[in-house]
Amino acid sequence: MNTFMRWAGFLVVLFIAAPLVIVVPMSFSDARSLQFPPPGYWLGYYRAYFTDMSWLIPTWNSILIATATMILTMLLVVPATFALVRHRFRGKGFADLMMLMPLAVPHIVMAVGYYSYFGQLRLVPTPFGVILAHTCLSVPIAFLVLSANLKGFDRNLERAAQSLGANPARTFIHVTLPILRPGLIISALFAFVQSFDETVVAIFISGRGAETLPRKMFDSIRQEADPVIAVISTLLFAIVLVGIVAPYFISTLRSRAPKPSKPTGAH
Amino acid sequence: MTSYLQLSSITKTYGHFTALSDVNLSVEKGEFVTFLGPSGSGKTTTLMIIAGFEKATSGLVQVGGQSITQLAPHERNIGIVFQNYALFPHKTAVENVYFPLQMRGVSRSQGLKKAEDMLSLVGLKGFGHRHPKELSGGQQQRVALARALVFEPSLLLLDEPLGALDKNLREQMQIEIKRIQRSLGVTTIFVTHDQSEAMSMSDRIVVFEKGRIEQAAAPLDIYHRPQTSFVAAFIGESNLIPATVTNASARIAENPVLDSFDYAGTEVLSDGQPVTLLIRPEHIKLSRSPIEGRKNVRMTVETIVNYGDNALVIGRAGDLTMRVRVLGADVVIIKEGEECCISWTPDSVFVITK
Repeated sequence: MNTFMRWAGFLVVLFIAAPLVIVVPMSFSDARSLQFPPPGYWLGYYRAYFTDMSWLIPTWNSILIATATMILTMLLVVPATFALVRHRFRGKGFADLMMLMPLAVPHIVMAVGYYSYFGQLRLVPTPFGVILAHTCLSVPIAFLVLSANLKGFDRNLERAAQSLGANPARTFIHVTLPILRPGLIISALFAFVQSFDETVVAIFISGRGAETLPRKMFDSIRQEADPVIAVISTLLFAIVLVGIVAPYFISTLRSRAPKPSKPTGAH
Repeated sequence: MTSYLQLSSITKTYGHFTALSDVNLSVEKGEFVTFLGPSGSGKTTTLMIIAGFEKATSGLVQVGGQSITQLAPHERNIGIVFQNYALFPHKTAVENVYFPLQMRGVSRSQGLKKAEDMLSLVGLKGFGHRHPKELSGGQQQRVALARALVFEPSLLLLDEPLGALDKNLREQMQIEIKRIQRSLGVTTIFVTHDQSEAMSMSDRIVVFEKGRIEQAAAPLDIYHRPQTSFVAAFIGESNLIPATVTNASARIAENPVLDSFDYAGTEVLSDGQPVTLLIRPEHIKLSRSPIEGRKNVRMTVETIVNYGDNALVIGRAGDLTMRVRVLGADVVIIKEGEECCISWTPDSVFVITK
């Protein structure tokens, strides 16, 4: 049983890691198109990515759109989450449902909807249209993350702050916000990644005016299978890896740091 | 001469549910008052109304002759310690204690110094730089107490603050809280459902039940002279015997099982009045044969609960269940299932009319 589980675990890891095992070597390939295993190795496609405007502009677009989506999402989600988690009102169940609706509707259906509706409003193809569409998709994710955090928030902390002389605004700034900060950051990050990663809607409405990176990669793989795609995938993976490993590394370093000497007194 | 904290006709309703009805209470400056009652009795609701987190449906809260009924919690200058302490997890102990001073515009250097002094007073000198999660339950308790006291509040409210601590630590903190409260002379309201805690700490106990005050009196008065049978049953072990007054002038009452017997007290009662008679288990004597000069009743022993230094003997006399407290050394004279004699004197029989 134990051996079986070990093998099963190994296979799962292999299954998950397989795309990386293929993509990372291909990014260093010297073949003209995506080919595995690579016939030879060089860094040419990295240079190509960092010098070719047709790749850099979509990258820049994606960063802008994801940042704007993140900000807009948070502006909507933070007040909405407080209202939905902390207050009871008529139609709350319906409001909850509407917040989560975009999760249930297939992206392709949303995309067709945006394409025809935003087209009439002359928002296709504009960055603004993409930002609006991406915000709709990010709201439920950000809401889920933040509401989980807010539900676990001890309201006695706010009561304590008020009894100690903080008015509601100062209570929010000095107590609520700092304690919810991790939840807010994670929620915003999810909104950013959701937008940065989103392909289906982007294909429909981003067009030439606001071409995002995933859309450009999709176009490229259909037309020429440019190995730069592998480069971008590898770079994205590296960023995520740093993002995950760095906090772990920092906390390990901190816990190894010498503790301040033990104070004396009551226990 | 009005008292320091005055609650006048406080009523609180939630829809059709009445959480508090006509609560009136006066607390003197420097007094340590405990709100005692089962959960849902209204003690915490009353505390929250004093703190300003709940609004009374009607009634008045006054501190030092001024009404605070309309003030928001942050305008009331009242310190609170919550059951879960509610320490700010992102701040160190000393920053937690500095917080109320910060809100009052005290400079950082001066405020932190004052906070350190307060931490020393509660016995946490040198712990200021720690975050709450690096402190034990008892230490967090002390930080919460320091934080609620550092700004010299007009009132200190403690909402079951010892509930989360283990027994030894709880007793230690009871003594500690009393010491700090006395040294600062701060008027304190302590909410608990633990009667021994209420007994040992309070100047006065206010017993709540079903949204009303049953009785407000000094701990020993509450114990020896309960006004209602609820208070008698809730505080300590008790034998409550329904009886009818048969001769009010001679102070004699009758119960079908116990026949007639004398009771003590000075209340004016009338013949035929139904009353409840309270006899505390420690006032009953257990013996093999009747004792001269006492009211004697035969009892069959059913259960003996041994506590080491003493034992509680539970038995039946007719259809009455009687509880008798005996010293540990005396318990050997009796076994479960045996018949014995229990007896008391008239002055240990207290009459409850409500």
